Amino acid sequence: MNNGMDSMLDMYLFETNSLLEQLEGIMLEAEKAKSFSSEDIDEIFRIMHTIKGSSAMMEFDSISKIAHRIEDLFFIFRENNTTNTFSESMRKELFNLILKTNDFMRTEVEKIEQNEPLTDTIDNFITDINTFIEKLNTEDTSTMETSEAKTPAASPAVPQTTAPLQSIPETSAPYIIKILFDDGSGMENLRALIVKNAIADAIGSSFECYPADVETNSETCNYIIDHGYFVFLKDEALVDPTLSAIKSSPNIASFEVIPNAPKEAEQPKTSKGSAAQKANPSPASSKQAKPAKNGAPANGQNHSVKQSIISVNLSKLDSLMAIVGEIVITESMVTSSPDLKGLKLDNFTKSTRQLRKLTDELQDIAMSMRMVPIAGVFNKMNRIVRDMGQSLNKDVRLTIIGENTELDKTIVDSINDPLIHIVRNSMDHGIEENVQDRIDAGKEPQGEIVLEAKHTGSDIIITISDDGTGVNPDKVLEKAKRNGILTKPENEYSKREILMLLLAPGFSTNETVTEFSGRGVGMDVVKQNIEKVGGIVSIESELGEGTCVTLKIPLTLAIVDGMEISVGESTFTMPITNIKQSFKCKKADIIYDALGREMIERMGNYYSIIRLHSLYHIETKITDIEDGILVWIEASDISYCLFVDCFIGEQQVVVKPLPTYLNSFNIKNSGIAGCTILGDGNISIILDALSLYAAFVNSL
Amino acid sequence: MHMENNSTEELLEEEYLLGEEEDIVNKYLTFTSADLVYGIPIENVIEIITNPTITSLPMVPDFVKGIINLRGQIVPIIDIRQVMNKPVNEEVSITCVIILELDAISIGVLVDSVLQVINIQNNLSAPPAKNHTFISGMTNLSDGTVMFSLDCEALLSNK
Repeated sequence: MNNGMDSMLDMYLFETNSLLEQLEGIMLEAEKAKSFSSEDIDEIFRIMHTIKGSSAMMEFDSISKIAHRIEDLFFIFRENNTTNTFSESMRKELFNLILKTNDFMRTEVEKIEQNEPLTDTIDNFITDINTFIEKLNTEDTSTMETSEAKTPAASPAVPQTTAPLQSIPETSAPYIIKILFDDGSGMENLRALIVKNAIADAIGSSFECYPADVETNSETCNYIIDHGYFVFLKDEALVDPTLSAIKSSPNIASFEVIPNAPKEAEQPKTSKGSAAQKANPSPASSKQAKPAKNGAPANGQNHSVKQSIISVNLSKLDSLMAIVGEIVITESMVTSSPDLKGLKLDNFTKSTRQLRKLTDELQDIAMSMRMVPIAGVFNKMNRIVRDMGQSLNKDVRLTIIGENTELDKTIVDSINDPLIHIVRNSMDHGIEENVQDRIDAGKEPQGEIVLEAKHTGSDIIITISDDGTGVNPDKVLEKAKRNGILTKPENEYSKREILMLLLAPGFSTNETVTEFSGRGVGMDVVKQNIEKVGGIVSIESELGEGTCVTLKIPLTLAIVDGMEISVGESTFTMPITNIKQSFKCKKADIIYDALGREMIERMGNYYSIIRLHSLYHIETKITDIEDGILVWIEASDISYCLFVDCFIGEQQVVVKPLPTYLNSFNIKNSGIAGCTILGDGNISIILDALSLYAAFVNSL
Repeated sequence: MHMENNSTEELLEEEYLLGEEEDIVNKYLTFTSADLVYGIPIENVIEIITNPTITSLPMVPDFVKGIINLRGQIVPIIDIRQVMNKPVNEEVSITCVIILELDAISIGVLVDSVLQVINIQNNLSAPPAKNHTFISGMTNLSDGTVMFSLDCEALLSNK
């Protein structure tokens, strides 16, 4: 019982959250376009209807009540189609109202998630919505002449069975198909639904039916028996596929195509033609929409799209991933078992190769299941840009590129906050306060923030760039000096280093604390969060031209192709992607600088040699440069040669994070990315090429 | 009938009192390290293992001996001798590690030898001087030795 309740709640939360997300998306799109399309209104209506229903079922009254009022509001829009005639201020108010409601419902849903009690005081909201509706009605009568004629029709949703019915309903569609079912076949309304679905499969959703609510209103049955079931088509080209779809449906007694020319001529009279209505594909649709809202609205559109996505609990995916990881380890445990040493086993090797192939495939699929497009996170930024634009009075557009780029779910979650922070920074500090400043600088008046995501090999690159004022290095340096975070004389800082100061803890360039940014916790939190998932943050900025923040994040954290390296008794894993080359060298090849540090020349460049054993103070017999092996490492813009004892072999390893206890020792800065358990149960430490170099530089 | 009722009530009351008394009793796992006896609240102890393969970590303080693979879980090991600024025990035949868990953080403590689980009824008295952050209290055991109680929270938060 309890379990059932839980899963129902899970379902409710999932559904409501995605509906609210959808709602926000529609609202932001519509705001950009400055008008609602009729599909938007239908969609919002449907969303509110669903939320109302499911919330009432789960007894979340506050949500259900508010959803109900919004549904009412959109009911009016749907009937009158008036949104396009709104005054500017009215529209603004509407958008703010809906988005506010959306926010409220989201926080309520969050409360449900956290098992907190819901807000009871929703009266304010309800009155807000009610006053808006009232305002709407008064404005309606003044701006729309036809509204008087329309409103009475709109008020109650009259069930069509009580309305007087003609044998052929009014429509402007040029082609009407009348379908009669076999006498006494029973459940005519359901048969009609079958036909409707068959037609939808054949020609899509660009047709209308009458009666429209066959699936929910069983009384339509009598009408169909008496008069038949009507399908309206707008285009002659659709007639043939429709007819063949009808032919293949069961229990059809007869059907006929009735051309509908004269009706079309009458159209201006029948529908009290307003300009807005002509934009509608056929006035019949507005007629038909009325019965439809009795039951489940917008069902028609969804029928053609088969659902091919299921939602899975993330914890299940996590445990799947863990098991796959264990299988990968166990596989190598079996195939490289010490018991097999020196044996010649042809069949065994053949089978293990097959096994290897299958586990690789299994691993790929398991990984891909965790991959989600970054669009979800990116689209949230729309809202931030909009809200901040309004309150800061800046006109900014957000351009999103590559939102279909996929990456690991945990990484998507962890970049959410940093992205919000960066976008806020761009809005607050980046884009100029005055439009005039922009025009003077020769930029277009509207500011632009570009969010871009793209793949490069095993990483994903996310850039957030704005065309604002850019960072003033002198100001940054001055501020850093005041905050006492400079570590060397001012004039020794390069531009790159100055920009990196922005990422230092306790730095916030804005003089005043605003609602959105500048709370003193700044970009350093962004840096920390990105580093937590193994990423790198870098900032580029030209004064007067804008700022670009780049996040480089690994696609997945779970599994790495690594090279096992041994130094003394210890085993390390270096990610293959960082290894450029490995080679033996002679003593004569080594170049020493004035301080006696070792370097080596490769392809015209000179690289430092990092002796892993001396950096990590590991005892090993191999200290002669000729005995060991040099590994040429490259990671982003850093390159060096690592001196190790020998290679053990290439292996796919499952990355395990180091215990949280060790975080206090700043272990991430000592060149260690994590650890992994090898086939023999021993632990191998996974090296991080970048921070290893940093640790080396620090140790000098 | 009436009598019976009364007696059950009395019994219940007695049991209740017993239960209350048990609540006051704290169970500690005691161990020795460099000739001192320490105690750890039993609820923080997960298990005791011997002779694990410790993988040493570079660039960490000396008292962090490394990490071990405990059935797929990576657990860091600290040497209690070095935490308490005592010389490292060189000639050990069996390394003994107590695995502790607090707030879902696991840690292994390397000790000389594990003694027993004891009940301590009275409250611990605070050490006379706040000489060590990892000691939360001390008490006399029945055999006259003094037990120092380890502050697991401080040990794990590593402050």
